[in-house]
Amino acid sequence: MANLSEHMTKARDMGLDNGRVPVEYYTSADYFRREQDMIFRRAWLMVGRVDEVPEPGDYIVRDLPTLKASVVIARGKDGKVRAFHNACSHRGVALVCQERGNAMTFRCPYHAWVYRIDGSLSAIPAEQDFPHVDKATSGLAPIHLDSWAGFIFLNFAQEPEATLPQFLAGLDQMLEGAPFEQFPFCIRVTDEIDCNWKNLVNAFNEGYHVAILHSKTLRPAVVPKENPHLHYLDVKHFGPHSAGTVQRNFDYNPQAPALTWVYAQMLPTSAPDIAAIEEGRAGFYEHPGINRLKIPNFGTETITIFPNISIQPLANGYLFYQFWPINEGRMRTEVRIYSRHAPRTLREEYAMASTLAATRDVVVEDMAMSRLQQIGFESGGKTHQQFGQNEPLLRMFTRDYEAYLQGKGMGQP
Amino acid sequence: MNHPALPENFAFLAPFVATWGDLHTQDERYRRRQELPQGELEAFHAALAPRLEEVFTHLDQFDPQALPEAEALLFRVVLGLTEASQAVEIFGQPRVPYAPFPHSVAMEWVGYQPH
Ligand code: FES
Ligand SMILES: [Fe+2]
Repeated sequence: MANLSEHMTKARDMGLDNGRVPVEYYTSADYFRREQDMIFRRAWLMVGRVDEVPEPGDYIVRDLPTLKASVVIARGKDGKVRAFHNACSHRGVALVCQERGNAMTFRCPYHAWVYRIDGSLSAIPAEQDFPHVDKATSGLAPIHLDSWAGFIFLNFAQEPEATLPQFLAGLDQMLEGAPFEQFPFCIRVTDEIDCNWKNLVNAFNEGYHVAILHSKTLRPAVVPKENPHLHYLDVKHFGPHSAGTVQRNFDYNPQAPALTWVYAQMLPTSAPDIAAIEEGRAGFYEHPGINRLKIPNFGTETITIFPNISIQPLANGYLFYQFWPINEGRMRTEVRIYSRHAPRTLREEYAMASTLAATRDVVVEDMAMSRLQQIGFESGGKTHQQFGQNEPLLRMFTRDYEAYLQGKGMGQP
Repeated sequence: MNHPALPENFAFLAPFVATWGDLHTQDERYRRRQELPQGELEAFHAALAPRLEEVFTHLDQFDPQALPEAEALLFRVVLGLTEASQAVEIFGQPRVPYAPFPHSVAMEWVGYQPH
């Protein structure tokens, strides 16, 4: 790389001068209510992968704490994937009680109204007592669903203001054909913590903290000598979404005995597979939308999808992070570690458990810091926080956050 | 709690069976790691980390889905090192700095039953 600093995108390069952001956005119940209505009921929200429901009759249930929504996602006999509110048309019971399964009908456990896998109502016991109920229009309430690159998105608006491709605003084109489906096996890590969800969004949108907060975990493997504050490179933006290239430290060579043994069994999700890179079979490394600069010590492309997703394609899989507000001071983090396959041997199970513990501990560091940040915010001594020139994506997120709260953001003028 | 014996040749792990042998999930191991003194985590690491290859050479002989009781116990004890090594090789302390204590995290292997 001739001149790395040329590619360190600064806030001023993106015309973002909002370096002071009100703490109120992070502490006020009123802002949280506006986020529910103006962001989470308008934006397309990612909730899973189509390969979680591969066969007709397969279903999963997801709860979205932000909207208190319980959602059934099911693949119909016709092969189409649909989403419904998990609420019986009779008296409201959340009738699908298993987290996943395969069924052709759902039967409500209260009075046994029966629904087909496509959500339509098929049977009402003692139907003569419900002459006012039109079965044809009394199925489970549908939720708009579309998918991109195998990811399922929902939209909770009556009528979405934009289609999913319009919403993705070109990010989808840049990542067209990225091989997410090569990494179908997933470990899900979920935790709730007392902080505003945007603290976590911000933590995943800058590399400035990596050498400090993650000094023992990520720093040795990730922070290269030539970029000590891990400035993101080549920041690209697509509407409110973004991607930035992140290096890693190719000199990293762990010596500790347990970690060394793990590396010899199965490379961790994030560790570059040098042989695979040289042979051109290193998954995401080959994709033209990823690492456009062709930096030799490429680590990841950190991809942010507004409002609450971060995806990091890595050498041997990808990490998916999602941040759900529960209220202004509490949130749920869901992390998914995707890899090529489930463990085939006990050696691989040990290696994957070890990588899971290491990945989780990094997120625990981010969550722990976000909780301390919330304590500081709520103490009330500061009305603003500061976003530097080296934190352009925090300013960009704030700009688009404000636009959404004002009813804009989805392509409106 | 009564445990089956560890497989022959792995008696050196007997002192750690009471601590790690009854844990069945990664979260239980994570919590155990947080509550142990660093010295105990270090002793476990010192005993096992250099001998991982020996342990797995033995375990390689068995069907992972049908481990005999002694090998299942051995593997559960060994999985404790996935957490203990974070404390010993990474942090130099049992807990993630600044994290709440005790701290629990849900971890689910989708479509696979870990040991
Ligand atoms: S509430 Fe579902 S059948 Fe009565
Ligand atoms: Fe972080």
